[in-house]
Amino acid sequence: MRLNLLRRLPRAWRRPLAVCGGLVAAGWLVVVLAAPLLAPHDPLAQDLPRLASPGAGHWFGTDELGRDVLSRVLYGARMSIPLALLLVTLSLLIGGLLGACAGFFGRWVDETVMRVADLVFAFPTVILAMVVAAALGASLENAVLAVLVVAWPSYARVTRGLVMGLRNREFVLSGRLLGFSAWHSLRVDVLPNVLGPLLVLATLDIGTATLLLSGLSFLGLGAKPPTAEWGAMVASGTQQFDMWWMGVFPGLAILTVVLAFNFLGDALRDALDPSTARTIGAEKERVA
Amino acid sequence: MSPRSAASEATGGRLRPPARGPRAGLLRRHPLARFLLRRTLTAALLALGVTLVTFVLTNLVPGDPAAANLGQRAIGDPAIVAQFRHQHGLDKPLPVQYATYLGNLFHGDLGESQQSHQPVLTDLGTAVPATLELAGAAIVVSLVVGVAFGVVAALRRDRFTDQLLRVVSLLGVSVPTFWLALLAFYLFFYKFGIAPGSGRIAPEFAPPPDVTGLYTVDAALAGQWPVFWSAVGHLMLPALVLTAYTVGLLTRFTRSAVLEVLGQDYVRAARAKGLPGRTVLFHYVLRAALVPVITVAGLAFGALLSGTVLVESIFAWPGLGAYAYRSATTLDLPAVMGVGLVVGIVYLTVNLAVDVLYGLIDPRVRVQ
Amino acid sequence: MSRFSTGSYPAALSLVAVAALALTACSGAGSTTGSSSGGGKTLVVDTSFNLKTADPGREFEPTGQIVDKALYETLLTFEGNDVTKPIPGLASSYEQSADGRTLTLHLRAGAKFSDGSAVTADDVVFSLNRVIALKGNPSFLLDGVTVTKTDASTVTLVSAKSNPALPFILPNPALGIVNAKTVQAHGGSATASDAAEKYLNSASAGSGPYTLSSFNTNTQVVLTKNPKYNGAAKPTYDKIVIRNVQAPTQKLNVQRGDSQVALDLTSDQVKGLGGGLKVSSGASSDVIFLLLNQDTKVSSVTANAKFVEAVRKGIDYKGLLTLGGAGSVQPAGVIPSNFLGALPASQAAGRDLAGAKAALKASGIAKPSVTLGYPSDLTVDGLSLQTLAERIQAQLKEVGIDVTLAPAPTTTELDNYRNGKEQAGLWYWGPDYPDPSDYLVFLPGNLVGLRAGWKAGADNELTALGEKAATTIGDDTRKTQYEEIQTRLNAGGPFIPLMQPSRNTVSAASVTGIAYNPVWTIDVAALGSK
Repeated sequence: MRLNLLRRLPRAWRRPLAVCGGLVAAGWLVVVLAAPLLAPHDPLAQDLPRLASPGAGHWFGTDELGRDVLSRVLYGARMSIPLALLLVTLSLLIGGLLGACAGFFGRWVDETVMRVADLVFAFPTVILAMVVAAALGASLENAVLAVLVVAWPSYARVTRGLVMGLRNREFVLSGRLLGFSAWHSLRVDVLPNVLGPLLVLATLDIGTATLLLSGLSFLGLGAKPPTAEWGAMVASGTQQFDMWWMGVFPGLAILTVVLAFNFLGDALRDALDPSTARTIGAEKERVA
Repeated sequence: MSPRSAASEATGGRLRPPARGPRAGLLRRHPLARFLLRRTLTAALLALGVTLVTFVLTNLVPGDPAAANLGQRAIGDPAIVAQFRHQHGLDKPLPVQYATYLGNLFHGDLGESQQSHQPVLTDLGTAVPATLELAGAAIVVSLVVGVAFGVVAALRRDRFTDQLLRVVSLLGVSVPTFWLALLAFYLFFYKFGIAPGSGRIAPEFAPPPDVTGLYTVDAALAGQWPVFWSAVGHLMLPALVLTAYTVGLLTRFTRSAVLEVLGQDYVRAARAKGLPGRTVLFHYVLRAALVPVITVAGLAFGALLSGTVLVESIFAWPGLGAYAYRSATTLDLPAVMGVGLVVGIVYLTVNLAVDVLYGLIDPRVRVQ
Repeated sequence: MSRFSTGSYPAALSLVAVAALALTACSGAGSTTGSSSGGGKTLVVDTSFNLKTADPGREFEPTGQIVDKALYETLLTFEGNDVTKPIPGLASSYEQSADGRTLTLHLRAGAKFSDGSAVTADDVVFSLNRVIALKGNPSFLLDGVTVTKTDASTVTLVSAKSNPALPFILPNPALGIVNAKTVQAHGGSATASDAAEKYLNSASAGSGPYTLSSFNTNTQVVLTKNPKYNGAAKPTYDKIVIRNVQAPTQKLNVQRGDSQVALDLTSDQVKGLGGGLKVSSGASSDVIFLLLNQDTKVSSVTANAKFVEAVRKGIDYKGLLTLGGAGSVQPAGVIPSNFLGALPASQAAGRDLAGAKAALKASGIAKPSVTLGYPSDLTVDGLSLQTLAERIQAQLKEVGIDVTLAPAPTTTELDNYRNGKEQAGLWYWGPDYPDPSDYLVFLPGNLVGLRAGWKAGADNELTALGEKAATTIGDDTRKTQYEEIQTRLNAGGPFIPLMQPSRNTVSAASVTGIAYNPVWTIDVAALGSK
C-alpha cells in the first residue's frame, strides 16, 4: 500500500491545483527562511508615519504604531507556519500513538483512549483553548498547547480505525504467529500502512491548525506583542475599519497559506488508494 | 471554528450493532430503545466529565474571580472581597465547591453569573437562542448550497465545473472566518450600505414577545412583520459568513459520498434497467448519499454553536460565543461551566439525533 | 455520468444567492430609517459595555453610571462637565460644618418617584445606608459616614474624620436615592442580606428623568421617559437605547445614522469624520501611569531609585501623546489636569535621553531588564494599553532598558497588580469622585502605593503631608498641599504619570447638549434635539 501511494504521488503532484498549492506553500517556506532578507523594514521599528496607506516605501501601509505592514506580514510567516507544522507533527505523534495502541490492543486501552477523545470532542474547542490559554498565560507556545489538546483525537480516531482494519489481516497475524512482539508488529507491519493516510490528513490539517492558531491570536490569546503575528494583526485591523490595509493583508496571508496546504492535501487525498480511503471511511473528508 | 473535531466524531464504532445480551426483555426486543438508553447514559457521563474538566481548568487559572468582578477600589478592601467570596461560595474548599455545584445542577440551578449578577440559566436563555438562530440559518443555507454543489461536482467529475467547485469549496474552508466577517461587515454595511448594522434587530424595535427566543420566529408568530424583516436582515450577513466554511465542507463531502454511491452495483443496475437519470439520482443516489451528509451537517451544526465566537464578536451578536468569551476572560466560573455544559449537551444530543436519523433514512443500519 | 441532467442546479443556486442578497438589502435599508427622525424621538447611544448591574447600591462600572444617572437622582450633582462645584440635586441646599465632619442637606420639596410617591428623608437614609451595608463596589464612597434623618426634609451626614470631599462624592450615581418602600417590597433592606438587585435590574425605583424598560448587561439597556419626573430640565427623548457595540462598529453605526451618539471612538477613529457629525474631544480624567515596583523581592532593578529616574527621563511623553491623539494631555502629576490640585503643565516630565542614560549608568545595573505587565484587553477611553505598552517598550530600548511585555487578560493581571507582584505595570486610575483626595491612594502604604510595593514608612514625610491634606478645608490651602504631594511623588515615587487620553464623543448634528463628565461619562437625560 505504501508503494502504491508513492507511485501515485507524482500524478497527484501534476494536478494544476496541487502545483498551484505546492508553489504557494514553497513560496511561503522561502519567506519563512528568508524573511530578514526580504523584509524592507525592521518589523518592530516604529519609525514610519502612523497609519499610512499603502504606497512607495511601505507597499502594504503602516500600522497604528508606524510599523511596516509588509515586513510584519513577512515576519509573521515565521510564527504561523513553523508553529502550525509543529502543532500538526505533535498531534500526529500523540494522536497516532494513542490511536494505534487503542486499535491494536483494543479492550480497556481502546475504551480509555476513545472515551477521553469523546470528552474532548464534546467540549467546546474554542472555549477549551481559551481557558487553557488563559490558565497558562497568552503566548503562541501556549496556544499551540491549547490547540494540541483539542487536535490529537482526530488522529487517534483515524489511526485506530486503520489499525483495527489491519490488525486481523493475514500479514499481521502471520507476523504475530511467527513470534513478533506486539511492538515489533506495530512498527513493521502496521505503521507503514497507516502512515500514508495519516500524512494526507496532516497536510490537510496544517491549514486548520493555522486557522485555529491565528483565531486564538485574534482573540488576544496567542502571540505575545510586539511579535508580528497574522491573527493579532487582523485583530488590530478591526480597530480601524478605514485603515483596511492593516487587516486585509495579514488575512490574505493566512488565506493563501491555508489554501495552499488544502490544495496539496486535497490532491494527495485523491491519490490515496481507494480501498484505504474507504477503510477510514469519510474521516479525511470530514477532517478537511 | 471546529467542525473538524466535530465532524471527525462521525465515524468509528458509533454504529455498533446492538449486542444481544440477556438483559431486560424490553431492551432486547427494542434495539433502538437499548441503543438510546446506552447513548443517553454515556452522554450524561460525558456531560459530567465536561463539568469536571471545566471546573478544574478554570480553577487552575492564576487569577482571582474577585479581582475580575470587583472594582479597582473594592479589591483593596478585604471586607468587600470576603463578602464577594462568601456570596459566591468561593471561600469553601474546591471539592466542596464542585459538590455544591453538582448538587445545585440536579435541581436545575446553574448558579449565578458573577458578571451579569443573573442566574446563568437566564443568561443562557437569551444567548443560546441567539446562537441557535445564527447557526441554524447558516446550516440550512449550507445544506442547500453545499449539497447542490457537491452533487453537481460529482456528476461533472473532473470537468471544469468540478474543478471550479473544488476551488470554491477549498476557498470556503480556508478563509479565516474572523477576517471574512470583518471584510463582509466593512463592505456590505459600511461601503455599500446594503446590510444592517450589528446586533439582532434594529434598535428602534423592541424584541418580539419571547416564545422560542429566535427573533425571526417570535416576530412571525406575533405578526410583527417589520421586526421580522429587521431580524432576518440582521441575521443574513453573519449567517452567510458562517456558511463559507460549512458550504466548503458539505460540498466536498457530498461529492465524495455521491461518487461512492454512483459506483455501487445497485445504481449501475438501475441505470442499466434504463431508469431515467433523475429518478436514479433522487431515488437511489441522493437517498443513500444523504446519510453521511446529514451526519456531517449535524455535527457541523453542533460545532457552529461554540464556534461562532469570532463572528459574534465582530457583529456584536449577543450569542453563546460572545457569552463564552466574556465568561472565560473574566473567570466567571458558573458561566463558563454553564456554557461548557450547554455545548456538551447540544453536541451529544446532535450526535444522538444523527444516529437515530441514520437508522431512519438508511434501512441497512437497522438491519444490522 | 453525463446522463444525469444537472442544468437546473446552478440556476436554483443563483436564485438562492440573489434572494439572500435581496433580503439583506431590503431590511438593511429598512432599519436605518426612523430612529432619530420623526416624532417618536428615540435616541440610540452606542458604547462598549462595562456593565454588571443597574442597582445603584452595587454598580460602579462606567456604563452602570450612565444608566443610573438617568434613572436616579442624587442629593447633589454637577452641571454638565463642570465637576468643580456640586450643585443641588434632590437636596436644594447644604451646609458643611467648619471641621468638615458634618454635612447637613435640605431636601427639595415636591420631588417624586416614578410611582408618584414623594421622596422623603427616610428614602435617603435607607438608600445611603443600603450602599454602606451591601459592602459592594461603591461602599467605600461612604466609608466612615453615618447617615441620620434630622426631620422630614433634612438629612445629616456625619463623617468619622474631616471629610471635605463629601459634597463631591454625593453626586456619584451609585449614591442615587431609591424608593425605600418599593425596594423593601422586593426583598431590599439596608443589610448585607438585601435581595433587591434582581428587581432593580428589571425595573427602576428612582426619581430620575427616565425609567428602566429593559436591561441586559451584554446587549442593550432601554430607558423610557419618566412622566412623573419634576426636576429642573425635562428630558427630550421618549426612549433611549444604550447598545453594547465595539468602538470600530460604533463609528460605522454613527456614520450610517444607525445611532446618534458614539461614546468610545479613539482619536484615530474620529479623524476625518464628516457628514454632519459633531465630534467633541477633550482630555479625559483617566490617568494612565507606569508603576515600578519598589519591593526588592519583586525586582531589584525597578526598586533602584536611579533606574526609576532613568525610566522617567527615558520616556518620550510627546511620542505617547501621538497615540492618544488630539485632545490628550500629559498630566504633570497623578491628579488629572482638570481637577483641583493638579500640577501646572510646565512641571510635566520631558524626555532627556542623555540624562536617562546617565541615570541608568549610575544605577549600577549592567543589563537592565524588566517585565511590564498590563491588561491586554483593556482600553482607556478607546486607547488600547497594548499599543501604549509596545510604544513604551520601543522607547525604553533606546535608553538601553530591555522591556519584556507580559500582557494578560484583565482578570489575571489585576490580581498581580492588586497583590503588588508586577515588576513594572501599566494601569490607569479613573476618578471615583472629582476631588484630589481620591489620589491619596498613590501614597506609600495606601491602596495603589502598595501595588507598587511601596510600603508604609517608605516616605514618612509624604505620608504626613497626605494625612494633613486629607483633612484640610479650604480650596487654596488644599491646592498647595496636593501640589506639594505630587512634586514629591514625582521626585521619589514609583509612579510615572503618562497620559490622559482624549475622550471623544461623536454625535449626530441633531443632538445637542453633549458634555463629558468624568464621573458618569455622559448624562443622556440632558441631551436635547434640534
